[in-house]
Amino acid sequence: MEDMFIKILTVLLELLLGTSTWWRIIFRLLYIFGLYGVFRKCGVKPWKAFIPFVREYEIAVCADHEMEGRTIAVLSVLSTIISLITDGIGYDFPTAVTLLLGSLAVAIIIVSIIYDIRIMLGLCEVFQRRKRWLWVWILLDPVAAVLWGWNDKFQPSMKVEDLREDALKIVKGTTGHTEMGEGLSVNLTERTVTEFFHKRYLLRDISMNIKPGHMVLLLGGSGAGKTTFLNAVNGYEKAKAKVLLNGKDVYSDYKKMQYQIGFVPQQNLMRGKDTISHTVDDAALLRLPTNVNPQDRKTREGEVLDIFGLGASKDNHVEKLSGGQLRRLSIAMEFISNPSLFILDEPDSGLDGVMARELMTQLRKIADQGKIVIVITHTPDRVIDLFDDVIVLAKDSHRTGRLAFFGSIDEARSFFGRDSMEKIVMSINSKDAGGEGRADEFIRKYAEVCNG
Amino acid sequence: MADKVENTRSLRYRGRIEQVGICFVRLIRLFVYQNDWKLLPMAVIIAGLVSLVVRNDFFVTMEGTLKGALALSCVAIWNGCFNSVQVICRERDIIKREHRSGMHISSYIVSHMLYQAILCLVQSGLTVYICIIMGIKIPAQGLLTPWMVVDIGITVFLISYSADMIALWISCLVHNTTTAMSIMPFLLITQLVFSGGIFTLPAWSDGISGLMISNYGVKCIAAQADYNNLPMATAWNTIMKLKDQDITVQASVEQIVIMLDSDENEMVVAIRTKRIADASQELLEIFAPEEAQQFTEFLNMIGAAPDNTTFGDAIDAFRESKAYENAKGKTFTFHVTIWKLIELIGVEKVQDFLQVNAAVTQQKPYYEMSQQNIANYWIHFLFFILAFGALSIVTLEFVDKDKR
Repeated sequence: MEDMFIKILTVLLELLLGTSTWWRIIFRLLYIFGLYGVFRKCGVKPWKAFIPFVREYEIAVCADHEMEGRTIAVLSVLSTIISLITDGIGYDFPTAVTLLLGSLAVAIIIVSIIYDIRIMLGLCEVFQRRKRWLWVWILLDPVAAVLWGWNDKFQPSMKVEDLREDALKIVKGTTGHTEMGEGLSVNLTERTVTEFFHKRYLLRDISMNIKPGHMVLLLGGSGAGKTTFLNAVNGYEKAKAKVLLNGKDVYSDYKKMQYQIGFVPQQNLMRGKDTISHTVDDAALLRLPTNVNPQDRKTREGEVLDIFGLGASKDNHVEKLSGGQLRRLSIAMEFISNPSLFILDEPDSGLDGVMARELMTQLRKIADQGKIVIVITHTPDRVIDLFDDVIVLAKDSHRTGRLAFFGSIDEARSFFGRDSMEKIVMSINSKDAGGEGRADEFIRKYAEVCNG
Repeated sequence: MADKVENTRSLRYRGRIEQVGICFVRLIRLFVYQNDWKLLPMAVIIAGLVSLVVRNDFFVTMEGTLKGALALSCVAIWNGCFNSVQVICRERDIIKREHRSGMHISSYIVSHMLYQAILCLVQSGLTVYICIIMGIKIPAQGLLTPWMVVDIGITVFLISYSADMIALWISCLVHNTTTAMSIMPFLLITQLVFSGGIFTLPAWSDGISGLMISNYGVKCIAAQADYNNLPMATAWNTIMKLKDQDITVQASVEQIVIMLDSDENEMVVAIRTKRIADASQELLEIFAPEEAQQFTEFLNMIGAAPDNTTFGDAIDAFRESKAYENAKGKTFTFHVTIWKLIELIGVEKVQDFLQVNAAVTQQKPYYEMSQQNIANYWIHFLFFILAFGALSIVTLEFVDKDKR
């Protein structure tokens, strides 16, 4: 009975502190006490220092190395499991199994050391201390932890934001637009991702109605969630939202609706070794319904190639095309199915002014056929006359993408008090990104306008 | 046309089977331009190099067959792995784009499976053809088909295709070609180590080797080569390496006389036909007995017959004499080379004995040359192919979850 009690106690100590030797326990408790202080200073809940595996993750978060924290936490779990299997549970495993687990443990230790070094170097940066402190953390981590955690001279330069708490404080956005029969109606409540037990808001409160025949510019700084928003609109990455295209729910009937939505990605994702005509033919076979006979399909392919000026070079290999031709081919592949909603992610990237203008003019013509065309571009001012509306997405102070404006181009100029789209982007970009950092202000202002 | 598209929203689009056709035709079309054709000459060169090493003993001895089976399995696994390990990950972003445009992942993978099957089939055909022209003696009579060369070809194809499917799954799992190529050495080394062809595997590794296509590949090819009924050369070869070593042998007069009575052994026959004095001198030189004086007396005892008779006649006469009865229990200690001793016993006799009896110790039920055994291995390969094909589909279905 006594033996059993000691065994259980040993396993518990191994699990909680990673050791069951008394002097190591003292060292470990000191380390945890130190981490308690570090967490307190960095804005992490200090009690997390007592939870095994979580503390390994959180110290990495304090060091602004969250990804490394995930790895080190997983490695700690694995290492503890191996330790329990080989030592803790007292079962006499065959030598081969023990040796195999031993090799695995050595590999884990090596990886852990590398990740620990990265994390500790990150912590040195956050606390603005010299890198030589790394040696103290490696050789005498209890001393380093207590010193950094409880000495007032050691203060972090940045604190960990707890997005879950802050998210409750942010302003109510623009929800509840009346749905239209025709056109595109978006009512997005939130788009979140859960990463390592943390729920992160990528987008919140975005509502708008876009009329058929409109060409819409999507503006926003880097990381504002433009591509995430477009993926949510076309149903590829579903959000907590209701998206209607000509009265039909994109999410509930995605399998059929996906053929009505053309999405041209940022990169030219085509097979370089194939020819233009084969690439377009494959796109047509995938995107056109089966009742379109081969003759009609070929005619459509010819039309689209002509529209995008690729007819003459249709037998050329894709890898031989110029940047402009590649972009046009990428667009042609989506346009083959004559979609009602046409979304283009930076179609003019890598193109000179003349070619970009030509391309946008073609897109304008497509919009004039009664289609909705949404375009992301980083150089909007050279083609702004071709657009009807502008969507401005901004990253708020909690790094969530929010709607800062939706309306006509002139209304946007007046709303932001800027005469160009690029200046509008500058005004909402964070100061770190060289902007004015007024995103929160415009998000609030637009929400107030919309909510009356 | 545009109106037709507009009006056909409720109509069906191309389903999985039709899409398999679209993707498959594209793969065939791209075969020449996408450098996949290079896999064929590569297979020929690898098969040629390996055949050069194993051609003499493959299908001839147990060791040569096991070595050849391992080599052929490794060639097939190598071919299979390199066929497909990059095919998915190198166009992962394109797949994502096509998937959101309505392409079914299952169609895409099945088209790759069909295409890879053709590629593996051609490579396997070339590999077996190279083995034949390199002089590997494949038996004529097959087990599951009328021709053994076809049987072996099917096995090589199944090994290659199984490896191909594992590599296809890896290609679905990883996000870029660099990672895929980093995983390849681990895959190949694991297959090599746990094949059972190089090392005698301990019992604990049975579970692991049971998951290795190389393990089934080696066993299947060895079984097709009738491994259990082949001679084992190791014991004889080892003795040949030691043939000039001196050994000390004790033999009685009776044993010596029996040995010298043989008419099957060339060396003994030659001694028997010699004159007694010459034969006695030769035997003294061959045996170099410690008790030289006594041995000479023993030979003189045999040579008590008239001088003009042969040594063979003298031995025969001696066996019938009273002197033999008195002397047959006497022993002599000789110093003789191993080769001389083998010659005295009979080279062929010793060789046959060693090869057959040593081979018996190496016979295993899993090398049994039977239809059921071979079919059993083929079923294992089919299981690998289907399992990893299905795994590839399931894995790639998550392609949309990639982080941007």
